[in-house]
Amino acid sequence: MACQAECESRRRSREYLDGLQLMKQGAEARVYRGKFLGKAAVVKERFPKTYRHPGLDEKLTHRRTAQEGRAILRCRKAGIPAPALYFVDYVSNCIYMEDIEGSAMVRDYVTTVQEKGGNLCHLAEKIGRVLARMHDEDVVHGDLTTSNMLLRPPHQDLDLVLIDFGLSFISALPEDKGVDLYVLEKAFLSTHPNTEDVFSALLNSYSASSKKSAAVIKKLDEVRLRGRKRSMVG
Amino acid sequence: MAVTYHLELFPEHKVTLLLFKDVKNASGLRKKAIDGTIDGALLNPAMIVDPLQVLIAVNKAVHLHLVGKMKTRNLNSEIIFNLSPTNNISEAFRKFGLSDSDSGVLVVLTDDGTKALNSQEITSHVDGQQVPLAELSQLTDITKVRKMYKLTTEEDKIGSVLDAVICRMAVKDIL
Ligand SMILES: Nc1ncnc2c1ncn2[C@@H]1O[C@H](COP(=O)(O)O)[C@@H](O)[C@H]1O
Repeated sequence: MACQAECESRRRSREYLDGLQLMKQGAEARVYRGKFLGKAAVVKERFPKTYRHPGLDEKLTHRRTAQEGRAILRCRKAGIPAPALYFVDYVSNCIYMEDIEGSAMVRDYVTTVQEKGGNLCHLAEKIGRVLARMHDEDVVHGDLTTSNMLLRPPHQDLDLVLIDFGLSFISALPEDKGVDLYVLEKAFLSTHPNTEDVFSALLNSYSASSKKSAAVIKKLDEVRLRGRKRSMVG
Repeated sequence: MAVTYHLELFPEHKVTLLLFKDVKNASGLRKKAIDGTIDGALLNPAMIVDPLQVLIAVNKAVHLHLVGKMKTRNLNSEIIFNLSPTNNISEAFRKFGLSDSDSGVLVVLTDDGTKALNSQEITSHVDGQQVPLAELSQLTDITKVRKMYKLTTEEDKIGSVLDAVICRMAVKDIL
């Protein structure tokens, strides 16, 4: 009986999603764009990975969906910009959220500015400030990249919005925050060549804005060292 | 004056909102909703910022109803419960449901295609003045809303009151 109802619910969800525009097909999630309750919405659908154990997988998918919802609310309450949530469906593991209409990925913005020979200092400072506040709230994003940051239009206003909190968790540990920054550093420098000065402006701004930055930066340095050692060995 | 909406996820469902002010029989209406004479959710419009807030609650209620996971007795009570940022059922009814002393009422009718939805019949029960739904914002008590949902000034910098409210409604069950 319960299964029947859930299967039916999944079917309805499928039918609705199939009518939307698929924006991204990832390894664990699809992202769609369309209307929901009359609003421009983005729907993120997490699906089971077939190679994982089915029961475990269901739990993981469910947990990531919940984590993402929780982290977004926690961020927004603290004034850290993230898309507004409309609906979380735990049967189909879908999160319905505000579409940041007309937004640009920070990744693309950085590339464009670099091509034009423009200055990225203000953007770096802005990102540093937002991440400092997020870490001061003990939210660790878990997957910081310049693809997981959007700019609302007009893009040059640098109105930053963080997205994709599926790997996020709550932690007060400087180590976790240091790793968060390390992941971003790796992604940033490999996606955007010759931006060492931009990233160090980001870290300076982070340090100036966060009350607890000293311990985090210390951990970041340790993690970098470990990373380097590992790459020398392997 | 009534506005009817469709829910994308539940194409067979219709939601109709009717707004009344200068209502003199709130207590009688509430009784009729409890005994089933009125098949609708009766809301205190002071706590409603925008029709979207209600649609979010209805969408979630219909979803939970169809998968058998409602926290309350029926769809109408679940709509009221879903408006609340907390999981306290009696508080949700007190704050978001119609109270005997209220002079405004927002009626939410849901139709899954099996009912002959009759908003005229509802109107006949209300001793008050029906007004366009667009006047809802005039009946909203933003101070009460902010207090109920514990809105922060930090949050005002990144979005509207409506955004803040619906986010809390969407994730209250997993906090
Ligand atoms: N709320 C949103 N508004 C606009 N675009 C979004 C939103 N969420 C995700 N996207 C876009 O979809 C892509 C994949 O989303 P995600 O898997 O959450 O990283 C992002 O890189 C964005 O371009």
